[in-house]
Amino acid sequence: MLVKLLKKELALALHPVVFLMLGLSALILIPNYPYAVSFFYVTLGLYFISLGGRENGDVLFTLTLPVARADAVTGRFLLAGLIEAASLLLAGGMIALRGLLLKAPNAAGMDANLFLLGEGLVCFGVFHLIFFPAYYRHPDRIGVPFLLSGIALFGLITADVALSYALPFWRDVLDTPDPAHLGAKLVALAVCAAFYVLASALALVRSRKRFAALDVR
Amino acid sequence: MTPILAVRDLVKTYPAFRLDRVGFTLEEGRITGFLGRNGAGKTTTLHLLLGLLRPDGGEICFRGQSLRTHEREIKQRVGFVSAGLSFYRRKKLSAVTNVVRSFYDSWDDAVCRRCMDRFGLDAGKTAEQLSNGMKIKYQLALALSHGADLLILDEPTSGLDPVSREDLLELFLDLRDQGATILFSTHITSDLDKTADRILLLTDGHLRADCSLSELLAAYRLAEYEKSDPAAASPLLIGPRRTRTGLAALVRAEDAAALPLPTRAPTLDEIFVHLEKEEAPCSSNC
Repeated sequence: MLVKLLKKELALALHPVVFLMLGLSALILIPNYPYAVSFFYVTLGLYFISLGGRENGDVLFTLTLPVARADAVTGRFLLAGLIEAASLLLAGGMIALRGLLLKAPNAAGMDANLFLLGEGLVCFGVFHLIFFPAYYRHPDRIGVPFLLSGIALFGLITADVALSYALPFWRDVLDTPDPAHLGAKLVALAVCAAFYVLASALALVRSRKRFAALDVR
Repeated sequence: MTPILAVRDLVKTYPAFRLDRVGFTLEEGRITGFLGRNGAGKTTTLHLLLGLLRPDGGEICFRGQSLRTHEREIKQRVGFVSAGLSFYRRKKLSAVTNVVRSFYDSWDDAVCRRCMDRFGLDAGKTAEQLSNGMKIKYQLALALSHGADLLILDEPTSGLDPVSREDLLELFLDLRDQGATILFSTHITSDLDKTADRILLLTDGHLRADCSLSELLAAYRLAEYEKSDPAAASPLLIGPRRTRTGLAALVRAEDAAALPLPTRAPTLDEIFVHLEKEEAPCSSNC
């Protein structure tokens, strides 16, 4: 069932703007730019999917199909996860490319390195926690959930820039070009990945619970 | 025999509206008209039957299986068609059909092709390129392609021109003749005159009548009289309304002899509008 739902999401729900947002991983090639912003753009793509879904009656359409409500929510999470995985892959490619083209460190936050992917995972986890449970409470009111998640993400990005100057471990270990401190970065990446999994699982449980009780009209 | 659909004491409460202990059963191979004015609770009831709304009380069973516990299995056997629905308007019908097909165990591509041909639907068009009547036919084609035993139609003829409406009504009769069970909500009584075997009349969230069309028509007489008539104040008169020449009201058929007024057989439309005006206690039969 989940495979069918994912196919449905890809065939009908996927908004073309998502590809543009994924393409913005190329921002990592710009010198002195807060690269984590590229992950915010991915969440903007996910917001556009929800916006398009509202205009196209996606929730009602899905629920007229022989689908359990919980599975419908999981299908949307799978689509989000797929897009986020694509974003991280692209970001990884851009990080490698930047390493070849530009050796200078980033003065506006995290360097283009392995830990940047961990920051992406944290951004996506926070987005899931804030956006989806609110969306599945009122699928017609998606502006406020996205605004709140956007505020949280820009708070994270701002904190990253500040920490890259203020916190010695951040500045001297994590915010360094690869392959320096690769072991520490890998551990930090694993912690971020664990946060992503936990945050997404919590968001999924909350979203399914809220959607189960929703009156869809 | 187990009815195809059994609804018991269905309750849904909103701040300004309450669907109050609605109950009925549907027999196979019949067209049941679900009649009520705008806001009477028809769409609320249908959305409860589809699991789109969560009931505050009551039970819905499809072939003896509860919707609460068997929603996915039941939806495999139910088709929903609504004039107000239009999904993914800019996607080609072929793309939407491909997605819908994958969810149904008993999907039949040959039936789908036949329906698309019969209804004159072009799979290369998008929903926004279809007229309202064609949108309804497309939804019907999807429902028939997965072998729905029960078709739930929410005001399918609303907004259609008379010819398109007539075409659709004939189609419903054809489907009934082929064994389909149809629950058909509308406020257009002439549609039910032409198609319905059975009538459910919903008034302000209460089921006012549940009987065959012929029983409903036979249950009442219509009295036409003048305001000055001594019988005008009779409590037997139901839902008096003004007419061009005086007043008209329903009277129960069994009370007609006791009323010193001439009466005639009413139309379904007349029964509907007079019962709507009457604030008498509701009953679940005629």
